[in-house]
Amino acid sequence: MPLAPKSDFRAVLRVLKDHGVDFIVVGGVAAVLQGAPVSAFDLDVVHSRDEANIARLLAALEELEAWHRSHPERGLRPDASHLSSPGRQLLMTHYGPLDLLGAIGRSRDYQDLLAHCTEMPVGGGLVVRVLSLEALITVKQETGADKDLATLPILQRTLAEKRRS
Amino acid sequence: MPPDEEIPAEQSAAPEDGVDVTLIRWLLSLTPAERLDTLQQFVDSVLEARAASAQV
Repeated sequence: MPLAPKSDFRAVLRVLKDHGVDFIVVGGVAAVLQGAPVSAFDLDVVHSRDEANIARLLAALEELEAWHRSHPERGLRPDASHLSSPGRQLLMTHYGPLDLLGAIGRSRDYQDLLAHCTEMPVGGGLVVRVLSLEALITVKQETGADKDLATLPILQRTLAEKRRS
Repeated sequence: MPPDEEIPAEQSAAPEDGVDVTLIRWLLSLTPAERLDTLQQFVDSVLEARAASAQV
């Protein structure tokens, strides 16, 4: 299985939108979009696990030629059973890494997170749903992983600065 | 800058809590699209550097 030729966050988002996929941008890209100076090499999204949405997502993943990057030698393609789970699917696409999350934090899924999102224009006429900085902080606190806790002070300071301005 | 001139604490490059608020303010001055472009340029430059070092 070939490595991804380059990274293009916006291209991945556009394919998801073009296929009508219901999703929320979370993780490092969501943090950067809201002004937090963190780095991210993969795009994390929480998708709706509604049956119709999973069908749309599979079509988008086919266009992206997505495969499970944890087993590159097998070239395993994601299927509906993978995407219906609350777990994390670590994928590679021809526009770079894409992590699909069924739920984050304390089992918060797409429906739970919808009330904590904002619509953001990300260029090229593209508008995507992004998890708010407040909710990102809550989820990272709930997760409690070292890498999440490491970025918490940056997210908290960014939120404080946003509230000041 | 003259050596005896003190930098205000707010402008220090080494804030006490390790969070560089000047970077936050800079990113907040950009639009979301510009922030995404900034991240993309960072990722591209790292990947290019990694590819270049692999060829050595």
